[in-house]
Amino acid sequence: MTLLVLYFLASLDGLLCGCRTSMGRCPLIRTRSYYMRTLVRGLLAAQAASLLGLLSLFLVLRFSSHSIALRADLESSAGRMLLIFLPYAAIVLLSLSLRFVPSIDLRSATSVFALGPLTAVRPVIMIVGVLAGIYSSLFWQTRILGVIVLLLMFSIEVVLNYFAARKQAAEILEPLQHE
Amino acid sequence: MFASLIPDQPEITDLIINHDPATLDRLPVRKHDVLAVFAKFQNQKALAAVHAIPERDGFLDPLAVDRLLLTIHWEMQRLAEEFFHGHRVRQLLDPLISTLRAEGFRGPIRIVDVGTGIGYVIRWLAARTSLAAQGVELVGMDLNSTLVREASRLASAESLPCRFIQGDAFSREASAQIYLSTGVIHHFRGNALGDFLRRHSLPNTHAFVHYDFHPWLLAPLGSWFFHILRMRTAVARHDGVLSTARAHTADVLSSAARAALPDFSSGIYSANIWSTPIPRVFHTLIGVRRELLPTFRTQLGRRVRRLGAMS
Repeated sequence: MTLLVLYFLASLDGLLCGCRTSMGRCPLIRTRSYYMRTLVRGLLAAQAASLLGLLSLFLVLRFSSHSIALRADLESSAGRMLLIFLPYAAIVLLSLSLRFVPSIDLRSATSVFALGPLTAVRPVIMIVGVLAGIYSSLFWQTRILGVIVLLLMFSIEVVLNYFAARKQAAEILEPLQHE
Repeated sequence: MFASLIPDQPEITDLIINHDPATLDRLPVRKHDVLAVFAKFQNQKALAAVHAIPERDGFLDPLAVDRLLLTIHWEMQRLAEEFFHGHRVRQLLDPLISTLRAEGFRGPIRIVDVGTGIGYVIRWLAARTSLAAQGVELVGMDLNSTLVREASRLASAESLPCRFIQGDAFSREASAQIYLSTGVIHHFRGNALGDFLRRHSLPNTHAFVHYDFHPWLLAPLGSWFFHILRMRTAVARHDGVLSTARAHTADVLSSAARAALPDFSSGIYSANIWSTPIPRVFHTLIGVRRELLPTFRTQLGRRVRRLGAMS
């Protein structure tokens, strides 16, 4: 159950990464389909990262001589991570939900006072969450897996950003070359 | 004070591209000249950002500059989207247009966005409102040919009923019933601000609406934080933060408008949030022909509370 919640959080993070890395890279006005595609890309990237995380988990459990104890250790570590990640995700979702209130001031304020700062603290939340999870873990394998999960979470945004930047650069250059 | 916040200096994007004001032809820009400006202010951030722009024989590479400018303007559009700027503009344009119609103006109303860039506001109005169908002509004007071409390309890509022109927005041919701009007015400093405002005094012109950053104590800090998070290019980050330091206060804008345009009633709209001391990110210099003010107040409805003292 704990792992499932972590997986959902990773998917949510992927969705938002997909959107965030694509913002400011489409100058059209009607951008709904563009942002839908970016959400899908983010979700797929999160699935790939989750799959890699899951593979690592299976490999560690498969070759461990104390797999039952390790599994319990992993679950308690994941539970401690959730203590950090869940409140953060709740605040993000609450801030996003305020964007549906039909007040320009309130919606703008969510950017300044909530979504901006929440984006800024995301890397810190990730590190603190994973450290909180693995700090009191019993096995080195749990710690290694925690670090792998952290790297995978960071890599989602880096990879999405790389491809979005390349696409944007090509789109900007194309009309300029025809002038 | 941080060197990158000294308001007397220009922004990087003011200097890296230059057009002949008469012919509108693009002029080469010597990299050394741009660097010299920022060296005078010891602005290391600007120097680093300009150094990074490719050059050819001492002149900034025009293609590299165009790519940079378009990247920046795409990013700036994201900020406008995030702050619902199209909706804000519409909130004022609707009552202004209703005012003109209520006062018997039956002909087509031309709205010109001065310094339109890639034309976000005009394209937004064309895409999200029925203004064009109501006989409102939406025009974006800029001196920068690259940005105007991009605005036209984007409007064409979405079949939007608006157009973009490279040229002087206050020329006889282009003169508008309503002028608007966003983030433009702080570029006019000292006497140039009065000169810019005086140019609104055209026979056809009934109103103007100029949005710009609302300067206050924490604005540069907030802007710095926001630009670090949201903008990806060093030039956009630098200019965005410097803009908040260069933004004119409400008093400066109002005084300049009142002195330059005695036939207009002018003031600041929407300075603070919900009548609290909390400032909005943007405030608006608004002016209407004196005889239109009573009708405009009526057309604003409950939003009339946001209208500051009008001259």
